[in-house]
Amino acid sequence: MKTNKLNGKDLINVGVFSAIYAVIVIALAMLGYIPIFMPLLALIGPIFGGIPFMLFLTRVKKFGMILMMSVIMGILMLLTGMGYYSILVGIISGWIAEMVYKSGDYRSTKKAVLTSGVFSLWIWGNFIPLFTNITGYFSTRQDFGQAYIDALTRLMPLWMCPTLLVAAFVGGILGGLLGRAVLKKHFIKAGIA
Amino acid sequence: MTKDKMQDGVAVLLEHASFRYANSDFSAVKDVSLTIQKGEAVLLCGESGCGKTTLTRLINGLIPQYYEGEFSGDVRVCGLDVAKAELYETARIVGSVFQNPRSQFFCVDVTSEIAFGCENFGMPEETVRTRIAETADEIGIEDLLGENIFHLSGGQKQKVACASVAAVRPDVFVLDEPTSNLDVATIRRLAQILRHWKAQGKTIVIAEHRLGWLKDVCDRVVYLRDGEIAMDCAMGDFLQIPSEELAAMGLRTMTACKAKQTMPKNNMAGTIDIQNCRVAYGNGRPALKIDGLSLPKGDVIAVIGDNGAGKTTLARCICGLEKRSAGCVCYGGKRCKRRELLKTSYLVMQDVNHQLFCESVSDEVRLGMDEANEPLVDGTLAALNLTTLSDRHPMSLSGGQKQRVAVAAALLAGKQTLIFDEPTSGLDLRHMRETARLISHTRGKCTSIVVTHDSELILLCCTHVLHLEEGRMRAFYALDGEGRQKLEQYFRTNDKPNGKEEEQIGRKEPGRKEETVEFETTVCICGES
Amino acid sequence: MRSVLQASAKKRGLVLDPRTKLLLLVTVAVFVLGGAGGEALRWATPCLCAVSLALLITAGKYKTAAVCVAIYVLMDTLQRSFGGRTEGIVNFLLLASAGILTRFLPSIITGAYVVSTTTVSEFSAAMRRMHISERLVIPLSVMFRFFPTIGDEFSHINAAMRMRGVSLGGGNAGKMVEYRLVPLLFCSVKIGEELSAAALTRGLGADVKRTNVCEIGFHAQDVAVLILCIAPYVYLILNAVGVL
Repeated sequence: MKTNKLNGKDLINVGVFSAIYAVIVIALAMLGYIPIFMPLLALIGPIFGGIPFMLFLTRVKKFGMILMMSVIMGILMLLTGMGYYSILVGIISGWIAEMVYKSGDYRSTKKAVLTSGVFSLWIWGNFIPLFTNITGYFSTRQDFGQAYIDALTRLMPLWMCPTLLVAAFVGGILGGLLGRAVLKKHFIKAGIA
Repeated sequence: MTKDKMQDGVAVLLEHASFRYANSDFSAVKDVSLTIQKGEAVLLCGESGCGKTTLTRLINGLIPQYYEGEFSGDVRVCGLDVAKAELYETARIVGSVFQNPRSQFFCVDVTSEIAFGCENFGMPEETVRTRIAETADEIGIEDLLGENIFHLSGGQKQKVACASVAAVRPDVFVLDEPTSNLDVATIRRLAQILRHWKAQGKTIVIAEHRLGWLKDVCDRVVYLRDGEIAMDCAMGDFLQIPSEELAAMGLRTMTACKAKQTMPKNNMAGTIDIQNCRVAYGNGRPALKIDGLSLPKGDVIAVIGDNGAGKTTLARCICGLEKRSAGCVCYGGKRCKRRELLKTSYLVMQDVNHQLFCESVSDEVRLGMDEANEPLVDGTLAALNLTTLSDRHPMSLSGGQKQRVAVAAALLAGKQTLIFDEPTSGLDLRHMRETARLISHTRGKCTSIVVTHDSELILLCCTHVLHLEEGRMRAFYALDGEGRQKLEQYFRTNDKPNGKEEEQIGRKEPGRKEETVEFETTVCICGES
Repeated sequence: MRSVLQASAKKRGLVLDPRTKLLLLVTVAVFVLGGAGGEALRWATPCLCAVSLALLITAGKYKTAAVCVAIYVLMDTLQRSFGGRTEGIVNFLLLASAGILTRFLPSIITGAYVVSTTTVSEFSAAMRRMHISERLVIPLSVMFRFFPTIGDEFSHINAAMRMRGVSLGGGNAGKMVEYRLVPLLFCSVKIGEELSAAALTRGLGADVKRTNVCEIGFHAQDVAVLILCIAPYVYLILNAVGVL
């Protein structure tokens, strides 16, 4: 029982916290469906997601739970039509996040905040389609005129791509700090963290 | 895990079992030794915190595998050392049904849920299908197969939970307060299911507050106090114990009593009128249809009816929470908009966890309070025994304490109408009486509406009764002598055996006398202090 | 949100194996979202969209299909009519909105179809058939089962907040979030614990291979859709190689 294998209780915990995290992120995404705000999602999603995530980390004592959550977010994105990129990104970022948290022996607060930052990178995967194959996208829209193409290229310039990545990370850190504050104020005081 | 050779016929054996939860200062269970024979049905009872839930967790293995803490002693079920075995091994021989219907199911549809346990044990698909059909037939839920569990009522969910556990065909059934949120009809059904299991030779261990329904089910009663067994006798002997002694033990009686109510006078005039109230749910079926109803201001009105009769819907209408309602609620003849209703009413919800927001009790009771009420805060906290807890986080308190905090906030909010939704589900005698006392004190100060299945509570603190049936008003009467008889009638009728239902649960039991109701005209002094 | 994977187990038109649906999702993601193959595979996009729409209609989700088509047509028209003709902020907003929506909409339609016609049990059964580890299947099932619960809890918490008059947090945005999220987390944790106990006492995590009574399998319609999905890949490869 004291093995490092994930048992039923751990798996259910991953499921429950994934559900809460997903609801928050997707609710924010709905608000951001004024598509102009979509890029902002890379920042605000992880900020609010940090609250359940930090509570989740208090229950992570074994390798694999963070990675599972990351992959699950990716699968959820695929099912809702955002593509498979989040799964790919999520596997890598989830793995790194695991390493970070483990290096703090699953107890360090600083490492927890950092883990939140790294974990949040999965959300960047959703934006990749906006930058891939721009020329291909335009080839079907040649009739719009050069001004149009110029405008759109200005809108989603390639430098936005890594910017969004950084935004996700920063959002995650902020979320981690926010989550930590809420933990202290409520969950630790109430005895469930 | 090897099964040691056990004496034949012993299903559950606890020897000097002790357990203390990880964050606790005191032992939940101290040096308990108990032997249960195969085929016995044992009732565990006692006040809140006596250790009965802990005992059930010892038997089904959740302690020490799931709930961490210090454990010592020996627990064996059908020969298996439960403390050392993995939970899934214990699960093959012990099936558990829990208190909350909402959080027990793992799947989304009924068929998968019933199959869940069998699938976990890798039973071949054909066997599982047979088990599903058989169990559904035994429990009487064939019409629910394939339904979405979220759309079921609390009683139906509990039946599905029982089916899911029974499908694995364990030897021992452990139930932890399974009737907390159920109406009288469903409780009767549950009793039938238990009798059926008993007839199959299964062993049953059930922890409960509401004892009346188990009269014909259990043959042995174990009374716990402070983590130790204080009494262990046969059901026949237990039934002989007079009501006063049971009350002194902190137990709800097997028969309710006629309480002497001393309630404050009500000098408030006027009525709250509900006119043409209609609420319909998606499928077109009306959930509530009330043409005209006048509730006297300042009194305490009980709302009774089966699950699904529309009690909670009515409560929400009066509060202004129900968006779909057409019709109106009038205060003193003046029609009120929903926003006004929200300002004048307060609903203390069934699940108290939904309404605690702050990080300390003193902040919590002040949230939403009119500043003018500040001088009343200390007095209210004192009356509710909350003064020592005022710096604690509300979520760290016990269930009963949380409920008192919610009531304190309600009283301090200074609203005209208070609505209590099932305030005593899961409470033991002492806390139920406290709640009754608090509610009866509101008479004359504001109008209180109490939605409940608890007959004792109604007798202790209510002045009127509103009986709903399938969304319509069946009766509305004052709780005078005649009213009490009508109330008795309601609870008695719900206990009458229904021929059709009998057949669905195993075979008919010949010559079974009519179930005695929870009511009898014994007088006992259960007044409030 | 409430209907995520809550499809009724009763019959619902053209039934596809969940694995086929997953392949469709991935294919749409590759060719429509990602634009793989570029110019040569222009035809793939409208074809795949048509397939998704058709499936959505066979599942009886007429309203959803109609809404999606309407949005797409609206956005596309706006793009065409005003894309090259407006300036500044308006242009920016227009192109951004239309651009992002038209890019993602086909994929979302496919997603809506998959999610509204698959029950959690079917989904779990399919994942197990694909030999995906229990460590992934169990959390996924729990997550989908938990979504409606979160909705319920949230509406109760909201009602309690309105009762106390703190819906808007007393003007404080931070409080607004705190009063909603914190009780939600408390309740969810509690329900999660009860759920675990109930699942573990029914053998979850047993050391045997889990069986499943859900009936899934490939039929004629699956083959048809599978061929439609594989076609673009084949074309892509042949194109790259220079044959087509």
